Amino acid sequence: MQPQSQRNPIEIKISTVVAIAVILHDADLSVLAAALKKLTANSSDYYSEECAVIDVANIDCTALDWPALIALFKSSGFHPVAIRHAPEECEEQIAQLGLSIDLGTNAAKVAEVATAASVQSVVQPIKPVITSSPPPVVIDVPLRGGQRIYARGTDLIITAVVNNGAEVIADGNIHIFAPLRGRALAGASGNTAARIFTMSLEAELVSIAGIYRTFENGYPSLTPHAPIQIKLDGDKIDVVSIQSSN
Amino acid sequence: MAKIIVITSGKGGVGKTTSSASFATGLALRGHKTVVIDFDVGLRNLDLIMGCERRVVYDLINVVSGEATLRQALIKDKHCDNLFILPASQTRDKDALAEEGVERVLNELIKMDFEYIICDSPAGIEHGAIMALTFADEAIIVTNPEVSSVRDSDRILGIIQAKSRRALNGGEPVKEHLLITRYSPKRVDAGEMLSHQDVQEILRIPLVGIIPESEAVLHASNQGSPAIHIKGSEVSMAYEDVVGRFLGEELPLRFMNYEKPSLIKRFFGAR
Repeated sequence: MQPQSQRNPIEIKISTVVAIAVILHDADLSVLAAALKKLTANSSDYYSEECAVIDVANIDCTALDWPALIALFKSSGFHPVAIRHAPEECEEQIAQLGLSIDLGTNAAKVAEVATAASVQSVVQPIKPVITSSPPPVVIDVPLRGGQRIYARGTDLIITAVVNNGAEVIADGNIHIFAPLRGRALAGASGNTAARIFTMSLEAELVSIAGIYRTFENGYPSLTPHAPIQIKLDGDKIDVVSIQSSN
Repeated sequence: MAKIIVITSGKGGVGKTTSSASFATGLALRGHKTVVIDFDVGLRNLDLIMGCERRVVYDLINVVSGEATLRQALIKDKHCDNLFILPASQTRDKDALAEEGVERVLNELIKMDFEYIICDSPAGIEHGAIMALTFADEAIIVTNPEVSSVRDSDRILGIIQAKSRRALNGGEPVKEHLLITRYSPKRVDAGEMLSHQDVQEILRIPLVGIIPESEAVLHASNQGSPAIHIKGSEVSMAYEDVVGRFLGEELPLRFMNYEKPSLIKRFFGAR
């Protein structure tokens, strides 16, 4: 069924890969192990082999056991691909483990810009978003358990139901004109101004810019039948009804 | 033009094989040349429900791997002239179902002028189930009115969208039908079971029928006769409705409301 055209055996292109940034605040492996255990609730496939960039800017890594650190993250389901902000003397050791060194030059600046932009976007909500984003991804069919949609660098608009076990991810906002029953992750590459909209919140998990919230103890009491908006308020996920009078 | 229909569910024990047998029989009783294929390699149940287990010589795997011809393996149903059964193998591994082989068998069946080719899928989402749905034109999703069955049906619908030939070739998508089985209006009324509206609200595909829970189904299976043959029973009427709706007839839903037994009925202990 593949088109049988003549092709080079290797094609080289620039491609952006989404990775999780893991920022360490403690160099003690046992502390990290305990924290990971808590985070993943002991399930080894919680992060299902997602690429991870481990940021060591905030810790002292002179005495760090690199192989043990990598093994720890692998056992929790991460797939470490690079170390960010590694001190020069450790670079050779990291390279031997098959990982790349990520300089993360502008990471701090990018974060600053992102927050600045988010503040601005409250005042001027439309202009900065439209000029830079590719067109939104629009989905018209129900998303079923096990399906996953990612809108890279843009918004995701879904006109049908997102069922339990489905996962919808966007670097921008997520708009669902039906019930949200699965997982929705907006601002996946760090946009803290991203929001999630849905006609009915029945979600397993929502996340904005990596900050997530589950609803184990039920959903916040909201105006019945009103659409829902989910946004980030500081480091807390805020769930509010959209009142038609507003 | 022949139509390939997969009967699938994700979850086991919801009534796929029972429904495949009755649905195929119903189509054949209306004069359509029909074949029903058991894809449950390694377990083999369809031949028991169709009552032809003693006539199995060759099976699907033999045909797929070229050890027997299709004509040798097809078993003619004892009740209807238009119905044939292609049994599964009990001794072989499910990985023996090669995709090219399955495609060749289906193409041969189309050349033999079968109008409907019913693929009875195994439970789960592994190789056998994928092979059963790969070539489907339409899918009947068998669901029990309880949450785990509904969730598995949702999952299998996603797989049909992703892995069927129709999806991969970017053509018209597989047409989906919802069949709710083992429905007990009494338990729905008591709030112990999801209603058909609840199930539809989650799955959001058109309903082709509701089969009421009935002991007659178990009895029919043990007798080796598809439930649609139990004349006058609610189950057989419900399956006949399914066939009718599938063929485009507008039929109201039946056997979905619970009627409390009247005082007189209770007094005389009717049934």
